[in-house]
Amino acid sequence: MGKVIGIDLGTTFSAVAVMEGGEPTVIPNAEGGRTTPSVVAISKTGERLVGQVARRQAITNADNTVFSIKRLMGRKYDEPSVEYDRAHLPYKIVKASNNDARVIMGGKEYSPPEISAMILQKLKTDAEAYLGETVNEVVVTVPAYFNDSQRQSTKDAGKIAGLEVLRIINEPTAAALAYGLDKKSEETIAVYDLGGGTFDISILELGGGTFQVKSTNGDTHLGGDDFDQIIMDWVCDEYKREQGIDLRQDKMALQRLKEASEKAKTELSTVQQTEINLPFITADASGPKHLSMNLSRSKLEQLVMDLVERSLGPCRQAMTDADKTAAQIDEVVLVGGQTRMPLVQEKVKQFFGKEPHKGVNPDEVVAIGAAIQAGVLKGDVKDVLLLDVTPLTLGIETVGRVVTPLIPRNTTIPTSKSQIFSTAADNQPSVEILVLQGERPMAADNRTLGRFMLDGILPAPRGVPQIEVSFDIDANGILSVKAHDKGTGKEQKITITASSGLAKEEVEQMQREAEMHAAEDTKYREEVEIRNTADSMAYTADKMLRDNKDKIPEDLNKEVEEKVAAVRSVIQGADVEAIKRASQELSDSMQKVGQAVYQQQPPPDQEPPPEGGDDEGTVEGEFHEV
Amino acid sequence: MSDEERVTQDEPEVDEVTALNQALAEEKEKAENYLANWQRSQADFVNYKRRSEQEKGELSKFANAQLMLGLLPVLDDLERALDSVKPQLTDSDWVEGIRLIERKLRAGLEAQGLIQIKAMDEAFDPNFHQAAGHSKGEEGTVVQELQKGYMLQDRVLRPSVVIVGSGETEEE
Repeated sequence: MGKVIGIDLGTTFSAVAVMEGGEPTVIPNAEGGRTTPSVVAISKTGERLVGQVARRQAITNADNTVFSIKRLMGRKYDEPSVEYDRAHLPYKIVKASNNDARVIMGGKEYSPPEISAMILQKLKTDAEAYLGETVNEVVVTVPAYFNDSQRQSTKDAGKIAGLEVLRIINEPTAAALAYGLDKKSEETIAVYDLGGGTFDISILELGGGTFQVKSTNGDTHLGGDDFDQIIMDWVCDEYKREQGIDLRQDKMALQRLKEASEKAKTELSTVQQTEINLPFITADASGPKHLSMNLSRSKLEQLVMDLVERSLGPCRQAMTDADKTAAQIDEVVLVGGQTRMPLVQEKVKQFFGKEPHKGVNPDEVVAIGAAIQAGVLKGDVKDVLLLDVTPLTLGIETVGRVVTPLIPRNTTIPTSKSQIFSTAADNQPSVEILVLQGERPMAADNRTLGRFMLDGILPAPRGVPQIEVSFDIDANGILSVKAHDKGTGKEQKITITASSGLAKEEVEQMQREAEMHAAEDTKYREEVEIRNTADSMAYTADKMLRDNKDKIPEDLNKEVEEKVAAVRSVIQGADVEAIKRASQELSDSMQKVGQAVYQQQPPPDQEPPPEGGDDEGTVEGEFHEV
Repeated sequence: MSDEERVTQDEPEVDEVTALNQALAEEKEKAENYLANWQRSQADFVNYKRRSEQEKGELSKFANAQLMLGLLPVLDDLERALDSVKPQLTDSDWVEGIRLIERKLRAGLEAQGLIQIKAMDEAFDPNFHQAAGHSKGEEGTVVQELQKGYMLQDRVLRPSVVIVGSGETEEE
């Protein structure tokens, strides 16, 4: 039993996605592409090619390269659309004994489901390679206007490819799922799908947990490719005017221009102006010729305005058919690469009177919705395993009245984390564990969840005892905090239930406050660290003088003592700079001691100061003694 | 899922035992379910980790791919410039300077793993070439290269855009 994948089986491109860790992910194909051209071919050598490879040889092998097979799925030979395709598609379309449309490829006859199966097979193989496990079940999307025969064909294609099609869902429904719109109760949703070659508008109604298609409309010859063509035409016309040369006659120039137009169109979705720069685009008697033109976003919008307006006609019709006004549309979803264009987004917003959903990659949104549906159908991770996150950081108070975080916010639960802490003063007999929740660095600014004491700590210099503090949150959000003295083996713990935490609004409020105070909090926290460091240093210096009494010259001893006193005197004050200076001077003096000692006979190695002082890892924070 | 057993009119003890057995069976099944799901989760995690490592490795290998892809048109244009030098200028120092620059750019990219794809006179292979049209010439052989293709290490960065021979010796 493997994973269930979601497949967007498109006319020109297909995409695959799967649920992973509760999130939908697009699976790249073997070539590394996140979409795969829906093209199949039999090469001159009899080899079957699928995807990008098939596309690359399409021109030289037009008779045996089949693309846009989706147009023929579930159709009869004498349907009007098939007649149109017969006249326009370069491969042969023939009639089966039951009147179905079939294609000839590499001298053999194939049904459209067989061709689609080849595409599905490649997608299956690539998905299995990526996931490292077999895939046998799939959810496939189809256009909302597909009839029974077309849907059955799609299911057949799955079967031929060795996949069990758990469900066929409508493309606009998949798009709605990708945006989580199924979580609402009653909604009317418009899905505006402007892809590479076709435009589709669907009006859906969500009610009682299911989506119903109220109406569909579209334009089968309106897409991103038309936008590219308009730019190309404009450039060629301008160039002809300025240079008197018609680039349309030059195959290579056209190829470069096509790429440059597409690139310019894409760039103008994010910048206001771009340059189409093609040196040595062509040549005439006088020598090489270059093309260098500026295209502004406003000029582009002028050029394509008609195309965008054309898409609104079917929208109006679809609304009429669904008996809805723009005001009655609750949500608008954008699908298809061309919807990235600001003009398109603006027009859609104007038309429906609301901001469309567009966060998900519009080329992948249908596949993602299919994956979400696949995940729901798989069901075995429903309910029991819906995982939560802890909304706010959890930690304990440590010396200097700061918070040392143990579990950062938005960590998925269940989870646990331990860290070793120690005492802040010599012979400290107990530690108080104060459990805090919140984002501010100062303990007082956060919420106290609970507190307890662990006593019976054996007398020892500060920083020596090892107290392991563990936080554990179970799947129900119940937090246990335990403190364990590794020396004595003594242990104490408390349990905090989720309800003693904060409500959603309070969480958001705390996050906002943390952001607002971020700058001053950082400063404060730094001050505390400087103070702590100075304190440690003074303590260490004292110890060092005691331990090496006989090896240190008298005057150096006095110097260090003075510096220690200086540090101790400023440490309680507010002048942070003074503390830093005093610490630095003490540090310098301490180094002199080290030098002096090492210059004599090699003594037993001095122990380095107990605290880590590093920034990562199990740093010993120190307790604030009660 | 066990069907509800019909309780016979026996002593209450038997009823209790039956009920307990049933409850036990249900709990066992639940436990097996949990174990299976846990194992699956663990497996997913391990797989995800493995894939993460793989992707990290690939990332460093191909991090430059986007950048190189963006620079290839510049390389193309430099070549075009040099190909169309007027005969009387071809030996000039200035042109020589441009040649040196082109060589330098190419060498720099090659040092990062860029490899040119062989196209001219090779058998047409859609794994590496993209056909832009037919022309007279040996069938299935590349007769003209419209745009150079490149690999980045062992992956195709950009296919060569070529004209393929149609097998005819004369233009139709």
